Amino acid sequence: MRAPIATNNSALIAMIADEDTVTGFLMAGVGNVDLRRKTNYLIVDSKTTVKAIEDAFKEFTTREDIAIVLISQYVANMIRFLVDRYNKPVPAILEIPSKDHPYDPAQDSVLSRVKHLFSTESVASGRR
Amino acid sequence: MGLWLEPNSNGRTYCSSLSCNFRNLPQVQLRSRIVDTPISNRRTEMTMERQQREEEKKPQTSENDKDEKVVQFLDSLNDYLTLMDSLSSALRQGWLELASARHSMGSWRINSAILDHKFHSASTTLQLSSPDDSNYNMKQPHFTLRKWESCDDEDFQSKEVKLDEDEVQKNSDDVQVQKERSKTLLVFGALVSPKLRDAQLSFETALETLVDIANRRSVMLSAYDHVREEILGTKQ
Repeated sequence: MRAPIATNNSALIAMIADEDTVTGFLMAGVGNVDLRRKTNYLIVDSKTTVKAIEDAFKEFTTREDIAIVLISQYVANMIRFLVDRYNKPVPAILEIPSKDHPYDPAQDSVLSRVKHLFSTESVASGRR
Repeated sequence: MGLWLEPNSNGRTYCSSLSCNFRNLPQVQLRSRIVDTPISNRRTEMTMERQQREEEKKPQTSENDKDEKVVQFLDSLNDYLTLMDSLSSALRQGWLELASARHSMGSWRINSAILDHKFHSASTTLQLSSPDDSNYNMKQPHFTLRKWESCDDEDFQSKEVKLDEDEVQKNSDDVQVQKERSKTLLVFGALVSPKLRDAQLSFETALETLVDIANRRSVMLSAYDHVREEILGTKQ
């Protein structure tokens, strides 16, 4: 029996994505900066290291005030081993497309977990 | 010397020996080996038939449950993929409008460097609840989006007082939401391109879709776990 999920009335949405995606969602009001100037987002560009992405992912998935983590799929591919190993219900990890990298169901970690019931080919082929 | 009529697992009657009291068992056909003849004792036959029917019903009921779980899983999977398509469309729209706004306002006005790094709370948050699933021991989270919530407590109190005036309250809510939206765009300057406001709305739509996706994901993973348990239970 799994541990019960703690309820939260004002949980945050964290983001690990490119500049335009993060800017867009910040315009939608999800940006949060605490007293220690810690943000709930990480902007990934060409200079961002894999270690920085890993640290941000680990931080966002262990914070109790975050309920959903949005991560661009191409960024998730850089830390695929970490994303696939993650199996907690909260925060929910959602892989989203980016401008240059459209969403690929075959790479989605959630669909990879359920692929044993059928092949990913049958999932991806009908969606292209 | 008595006659044994013992139905074995195949429902056949085995005449273990012969009896000299043939009058008491007029329907028995005396043979020395296992035969598929009608069973003399009709009660025994009826009991066996009833037992067989009950055994047939049990697999059917459990099969129906399994089918229902599989259907639930496939439905949630289909919804998940459909919502991902909608999300891609909303994001594409948002990126296009953002690029258009950047083109008209200038790239120096719309970039990550001017983002607000001072202390501020998120205006759009999530309500995380855990609806109790009485059939199973696992609980799946449920996410609800709360857009543009005012941090000012006085505004909330004033909304509660005007409960009887629905239209006035609705208008005040809309005004409040518009204020919050404009306040968020102040980072980019007092006067912003209409395309930037359109981009803001597109990303709000994308956010709503993402919350739906998160809920569908929870349902899908929960249904998958149930189906997997059924499959593992069947194999054992």
